[in-house]
Amino acid sequence: MTMQTSASGPPSPSRRSLLKRGLLGGGLLLLGGAGFLGTRSTRRGKAPPRPLTVLSEDEYAVVEALSARIIAPAKDAPPLDEVAWNVDQLLAAADPSAQKEVKQLIGLFDSALAGFLFGGRVTPFTRLEPGEQDQVLREWQQSRLLLRRTGFTALKTLALAGYYSTASTWAYMQYPGPPKDFHDPSAPVWKGGGQPRPDSPGVFKAEESEGTLPEATTTNTAGGHAP
Amino acid sequence: MSDRVGRIITGDELTADTEVNAEVCIVGSGAGGAVLAHELTARGLDVVMLEEGSYHTRRDFKMDEAWAYPHLYQEMANRATDDLAIRILQGRSVGGTTTINWTTCFRTPPRITQVWRERFGMTALTDEALRPHFEALEKRLHIHEWPLDQINQNNRKLWEGCEKLGYDHKLIRRNVHKCVNLGYCGVGCPVDAKQSMLVTFLPDAVEKGLRLYANASARRLEVSGSRVTAVHAEVRDPATDKPRGVKLTVRAKVVAVSGGAINSPALLLRSGLDQGGKVGRRTFLHPTVVSVGIFDEEIAAYAGAPQSVYSHQFIDRGAGKVGWFTETSPIHPVVAAVSFAGFGEGHRELIRALPNLNAVVASLADGLLPDEVGATVKLRGGGDARLSIHYDLQPSHFEAARVSQAELAKIQFAAGAKQVVTLHEAPVVMNSEKELGKLDSAPWERCRTRFFSAHQMGGCPMGSDPAKSVVTPELRFRGMENLFVVDGSIFPTSLGVNPQQTIYGLARWGAQFVAGSVA
Repeated sequence: MTMQTSASGPPSPSRRSLLKRGLLGGGLLLLGGAGFLGTRSTRRGKAPPRPLTVLSEDEYAVVEALSARIIAPAKDAPPLDEVAWNVDQLLAAADPSAQKEVKQLIGLFDSALAGFLFGGRVTPFTRLEPGEQDQVLREWQQSRLLLRRTGFTALKTLALAGYYSTASTWAYMQYPGPPKDFHDPSAPVWKGGGQPRPDSPGVFKAEESEGTLPEATTTNTAGGHAP
Repeated sequence: MSDRVGRIITGDELTADTEVNAEVCIVGSGAGGAVLAHELTARGLDVVMLEEGSYHTRRDFKMDEAWAYPHLYQEMANRATDDLAIRILQGRSVGGTTTINWTTCFRTPPRITQVWRERFGMTALTDEALRPHFEALEKRLHIHEWPLDQINQNNRKLWEGCEKLGYDHKLIRRNVHKCVNLGYCGVGCPVDAKQSMLVTFLPDAVEKGLRLYANASARRLEVSGSRVTAVHAEVRDPATDKPRGVKLTVRAKVVAVSGGAINSPALLLRSGLDQGGKVGRRTFLHPTVVSVGIFDEEIAAYAGAPQSVYSHQFIDRGAGKVGWFTETSPIHPVVAAVSFAGFGEGHRELIRALPNLNAVVASLADGLLPDEVGATVKLRGGGDARLSIHYDLQPSHFEAARVSQAELAKIQFAAGAKQVVTLHEAPVVMNSEKELGKLDSAPWERCRTRFFSAHQMGGCPMGSDPAKSVVTPELRFRGMENLFVVDGSIFPTSLGVNPQQTIYGLARWGAQFVAGSVA
């Protein structure tokens, strides 16, 4: 892995001023659809399994393509089928302004014009071979421009969260999951209103604390869970 | 006591615009707001509290990150500085960050109260003045040292490494009662063992008449002259966390903003209360680097009390240098996956070793050098939904990050690690102590290596000099008669220790001023 980006070089004044307008802020992104390079479009893969909430089908395809390279699942790991779908669901819960920024970033990442401005490449990310895609990711990851590194961090985080937030990846990670028999999904919820507070395993009443400090009564009941 | 009937009211219960009156309105139910509410209701005052997050309890705490981050954390645990260089972990539910913190308690270090007295004019904050508050809090919150025979393997590696190197190392005091050592403090305690605000001062205060509105996001303070006349909140749907088009207005004699660093400055800025640009400046984050050690034996850093050992070996590094404190971090799957360095196969193979990983961290005590300005919290242009948090980390921070990363690796190798890796995007992989030099040639820049913040402080600093402080030594917002700030945002510097107990202490101490202004 090299530390230098392959083709970026010092940005020209015009490029620098362009970038100063903000990767996540607006300006530059509008260029994504303009002119000749804008006609080199995203290559779509499989259709999403269910209707999308935030991402367009093009954006979905970009997330799917970059997730494949970021996660690069081993043969014995769960497949990537749901990752872009999960990302869409994660974004659905986010603030609308955050959604907009992520959509702009995804568009920029796959944009032929941005690829040309950043690295002299005119092919959208989704149309590159895997090795070239890794190279593009490294260029973003290790760019001299903080804005591109920020963009990479956002995309990487989304892809990884979309994949590893499902319990299906636990076995692969050798993660045993949370210990059983402690969470009580029917525990009473107290809202005051003159009602007495229900008992709870750890809670001790204010009156108790007026006296001497109770002894620590810790027992590691995590069983086989803790080493 | 009081014959007022306190209640916790959730967003689903408010179906029409509502206006309520109170003597005091507290915005925020975390460490500052909860202690303040308890102190005020104990004095017989009529208090209304607004909390933008939901009311979640042990009934919901199923020890699952994928549920917890969207429900219990600010911005679904995606809060970060604008450049994403520092990921900010901060709570957002009833109890605030105390619901999801790792239960680590320290009294305010005397070296910090000294700085606050000498450089910021907080002359009343002597260790003598704070002691009775800390003693009472330690009793109620059952704060006690975690026993050495109960520490988990992740913390034992820090203990052993420091012991071998002759470094300072001590056991951490925790606010837990009947803790069963599960290790899931960060996603909500399923057995109420954590003595968070959720199970202590908030219910105590509700029993004394507190009306706590959950899912009520304070958007704006209405100001007339030098008084706040109303707090305007929007009610959110607990099921979706989206605004449901219902307004809640609180008219109170006195308002205390306790939304924590970042959110308190944001509310003040939204209300046009910027004090000529001071509000939101001097925000400190304890920027934290992580060192991952790979061991042959199982560590299971997801199991057992998350933090039980600390080292202050490097907290004071002399003039001109940023010091740090060392603790451990638990390692749970989602946060590990999104934090680990690189992508593709290298990233995947590290994740796969999850049970054998150990994480020790160095948190930089920022804001103590004379020229440090910290982060700045601003509103983002246009709407008021999101914030800008800008932190221009300085060479002094990166120097501390680089040197601390070497010290963390030394500790891990001394404890038997076979390999140590950093969170650089191009990972620094060290196979023995002989390879620590690799850290010197690694890139120390934003978004080339990763920082975290679990501690948010400042933004509304207290002090005697109007040019340097946002609140007076009595915690009153300058220029306003009936507005106070009571939370971690009043710290003039960072602490160099985990902040929860200092926030409790300052709130308990500061409650006298808020109570005294209710005419």
